[in-house]
Amino acid sequence: MRKKLVLYLFLAAVLRYFLIISKFSRIIRNRVEISTPLNSFKRVQEGAYLYKHGINPYSGDLVHEVPTILLGLSWVLNNCECLLPFLFIALDLLTAFFLYEMTKMVLRSQLDQARKAKYAPDTEDIQLKTDDVEPLSHYVMMAYLFNPFSVASCVAQTTTVFSNFFLSLYFFFLAKKQITPCMLFLAIETMRSMYPVVLLAPAVLQFSENSLAKAIKVVNAFLALCGILSFLHYSMIGNWSFFDSTLGFIFHYRDLQPNIGVFWYFFTEMFEHFRTMFLVTFQMNATILYLVPLSIKLRKDPMMLATILLALIAIFRSYPCVGDIAFYLAFLPLWKKCWKFMAQNFIVFCFFLVTVLVMPTLWHLWIYAGSANANFYFGITLGFCTGQIFLVTDLLFAHVKREFCLKNGQKLFIDGKEAKIILE
Amino acid sequence: MGILTDASLNQRNHLGRNFLKHNRKICALFYLAGAVWFCCLGHSQFNHATYLSENALSPGLVYSEIKVESARIAQNYLDELNREREVYRSGIPYNWIMAKMQQIGLEVYTHNFTLHYPLGSGREFHGENIYGILRAPRIGSTEGIVFSAPYRPPESVHPDITASVPLLLAFAEFTRRKNYWAKDLIFLVTDREQLGMHAWLEAYYKGDLEDASALDAGNLKGRAGALQAALNLEIQDFDAEYLNVKIEGLNGQLPNLDMFNLIQRIAARELPVREPCGYKQTSPRKRAKNKNAVLENVKAMLSMLLSQANGVPTGNHGLFHRYRVEALTLEAVKKPKSDYQSRGAAVLPLLKVIEGVSRSLNNLLERFHQSYFFYILVSNDRFVSIGDFIPCLLLMAGPLFIKAFFLWLGLNVEDPEMEKCDEDEKQAESSQTELKPIVKKELDLQYSKVLRIFLIAHLIGFLASVMPENRGLNEVFATLGLSSNQFITGLAVVFSIVALLAPHIVELNYDGVELLHIVTLLELASVLVVVGLLNFALGFLLSIVIAPAAILVDRNHNASIKCLNRFYVILLHPLIVSYGVVLILTLNAFPELGLLAVAQRAIGATMDALTYSVVDSIIYGNWVYNAVTIAFLSNWMMLWRVVCYTKTEEGRPKLKTS
Repeated sequence: MRKKLVLYLFLAAVLRYFLIISKFSRIIRNRVEISTPLNSFKRVQEGAYLYKHGINPYSGDLVHEVPTILLGLSWVLNNCECLLPFLFIALDLLTAFFLYEMTKMVLRSQLDQARKAKYAPDTEDIQLKTDDVEPLSHYVMMAYLFNPFSVASCVAQTTTVFSNFFLSLYFFFLAKKQITPCMLFLAIETMRSMYPVVLLAPAVLQFSENSLAKAIKVVNAFLALCGILSFLHYSMIGNWSFFDSTLGFIFHYRDLQPNIGVFWYFFTEMFEHFRTMFLVTFQMNATILYLVPLSIKLRKDPMMLATILLALIAIFRSYPCVGDIAFYLAFLPLWKKCWKFMAQNFIVFCFFLVTVLVMPTLWHLWIYAGSANANFYFGITLGFCTGQIFLVTDLLFAHVKREFCLKNGQKLFIDGKEAKIILE
Repeated sequence: MGILTDASLNQRNHLGRNFLKHNRKICALFYLAGAVWFCCLGHSQFNHATYLSENALSPGLVYSEIKVESARIAQNYLDELNREREVYRSGIPYNWIMAKMQQIGLEVYTHNFTLHYPLGSGREFHGENIYGILRAPRIGSTEGIVFSAPYRPPESVHPDITASVPLLLAFAEFTRRKNYWAKDLIFLVTDREQLGMHAWLEAYYKGDLEDASALDAGNLKGRAGALQAALNLEIQDFDAEYLNVKIEGLNGQLPNLDMFNLIQRIAARELPVREPCGYKQTSPRKRAKNKNAVLENVKAMLSMLLSQANGVPTGNHGLFHRYRVEALTLEAVKKPKSDYQSRGAAVLPLLKVIEGVSRSLNNLLERFHQSYFFYILVSNDRFVSIGDFIPCLLLMAGPLFIKAFFLWLGLNVEDPEMEKCDEDEKQAESSQTELKPIVKKELDLQYSKVLRIFLIAHLIGFLASVMPENRGLNEVFATLGLSSNQFITGLAVVFSIVALLAPHIVELNYDGVELLHIVTLLELASVLVVVGLLNFALGFLLSIVIAPAAILVDRNHNASIKCLNRFYVILLHPLIVSYGVVLILTLNAFPELGLLAVAQRAIGATMDALTYSVVDSIIYGNWVYNAVTIAFLSNWMMLWRVVCYTKTEEGRPKLKTS
């Protein structure tokens, strides 16, 4: 199994490397689906150049990367530029590896729980078994390594690679139940892209063990680390302007460049008058709207909660890109035992396939041929979002159904007839 | 939320079985619905009357100022040019054209270009365009309009359009005397048909086309800002019978509907009644009256789709569309018999049409952006917009998705008989555990093998797409003394044989073939949708031919129907489809020849068509050849693999090599 693992990692690295040196990398880098104003490599380059010449990179509206990453990348750019592709590839592989380890731990702890619980007799096929741990964690890793989305994201050298890396570390330590590093990586990622703050909820559920004092301790640790990180950034740059350029830029949605999300079209069309109201509404939708009900429903299963929240963030965030989607898609094999109850997987797959193919087509027709227009492109991105929401809803319901069936058996009989189970 | 919340698995099984039973009927229903929808579009209830969206155009708002002396100038130019043509049998009389342009008072430039022919031994072709710019008196050269005329030397094989250049010059002479132009006017005479136009546009925009190696577009010494619109003239004679408007551009792109409407409005105003003007206009004497209107309309729509489908522009205008310049060609078709009395009768009306169009374009405040870019013309004053015709394509491609979905359901739904066994066992619960693995269908989907076939098929498709432009290969064949035509045909035949055999390298079982079938259908459907969005005509016509594959090909047939399926899939091979199309066209063109002679002639024509499509793809960026090889050839290989699968009686998979 180890051998196989290394082989996959090697194959993924080779694939990424050849794409980076091929002529496609320029095309991939410039696609709006992959590079957004927030994560594009070009902007990092600009920022590094500005910093090198003693100009505050955050004084304009160009750079939206936090100082640590920006300075780190600018150091690499100035000293050993040829190593840059390898840095991105290595981070991507590490992400996959941490996901692999994380899956193993999660599945083992689920197995422990399953041993304690008593399940209905005809549910063998949906119960987790010891033999499942290794293949499932392999699937998770492969789902990240060979997902075209994550490959494209890495080839375009977007800073989403860093995001995924930090998030994978967060998940790794979450599964390992180590509070401080877990909170550290969550704080880093929150300072970079704001939305991961909602992942505090699964962490609190995981670590608190139903005690309020522990929960407060977790939140305090998170806040303290955020404070320390801010101060670190401040000491690197010498002023607080980076706050507005990173978190402020994300919250206020200043760059209306089209992307695969739902923000750009609305904020282009809307009267300036209503902007604040809709901004708050949209940001609430992306963060706290689903947080409370989901946390209550899934309080016993913080991992599921984290998966769902991760997907919702990727769909509804202000500058979404395919790299985010690749990350939450990698979590699907983790829930393989729910797949039996996922009724829409084929339809969702078709949705993904068609929308992903049609998106660049309509972009070409809109931007280059001039015959289509923004409405066409927005229509198809909306379709893409709908497909993703289908997937998330389906996964959530499948999870609930599986829990129910594990307790009550897969076939229910009322008066000798098979009963129909309806969720309402 | 029923669809998402229904938790009962067996309900789904039940529904799935019912769907499976009727899947072919459902697919056929969708297909027929698509066809019926398309036919309905011919009815006036389902199409719309054309109208002008762009108010700035306001056709016919100004009095026509062009007078009969301009017509006389045109006639004189024509006589002079005809004398020049006797001297220059194979080239352009540059000196004469340049002298006339200078006389009129235009800024005159020439533009040289070189084509390194991508196939064969790499011969070189040279050409030279001439153009003159009239600077707008009212604005600083920020926008421009192009009036162009292709020049054909007397030795050209194409219809004689000598009269275009004199008409262009006469119009230029008229515009020189007016001071109301708000856009620079470019008068362009192009050499070597579409190549000249392509080179000029490439040079004008310094395009970032990758095929820069094939065409050396050269430099332009004078420019005139952002081009807004272009009018291309193909005037066969000043004694014209009718005007034909050509709109189909590169890769099936069309000019904005406003541009077409503008021509229609102005032509209706300026031309005498006996000289009609319109899209695909035919001689007024030939046109039959009192026919079924819907049938005629559907025929007109189909003929437009047919000429759009190959992605080849019908005139020089088609190359402008790539640069977002709205352009079309006005073709004046000469009378079959010309008498001295009516000689030059059409000059003044033609000039008035051009004047009217230029005055309207002169008023434009912004680029064409209103009205429609995706439309099908039902007749000259009626059209169908994208919202109405795209459902046809979706209904045609839909069965492929639906079929794939049913196959997927079929994989996961347990057979009814097995279900019964399961229930019997339930009563005897103790023995259940030992028996279950035998009865339950074990799915073995062979993902990695299917992936391997998928990759092999696409690798071959990709090679078929890039091989023809491989320089080294071309050199080798050229030294062997083969023409580029034979080279391309040879490659096509080799790839066809490879396509027949290659998918059988990987052995598959029953479920694996089923998965491959699903993958094939999904890919085909998505490709059809994408192609249909880029070029509706191609996507729609292809789905008419291909979609029945979804209905017909099925694993549970008896042997004779399976044979029929294989025959049908063979017919779908891209090479055979293109031969079929060429054969039908040849039959129409030479109805007097015998079937055998036509079939022979069609083989040669198919070879030519193949070579042209390769050359078009390399020089002009026409993507039909690449789409067919990369997407459709690869997909055909997988479909072929699916229909070739036979199940022996014991249910053990057997490999069948075609």
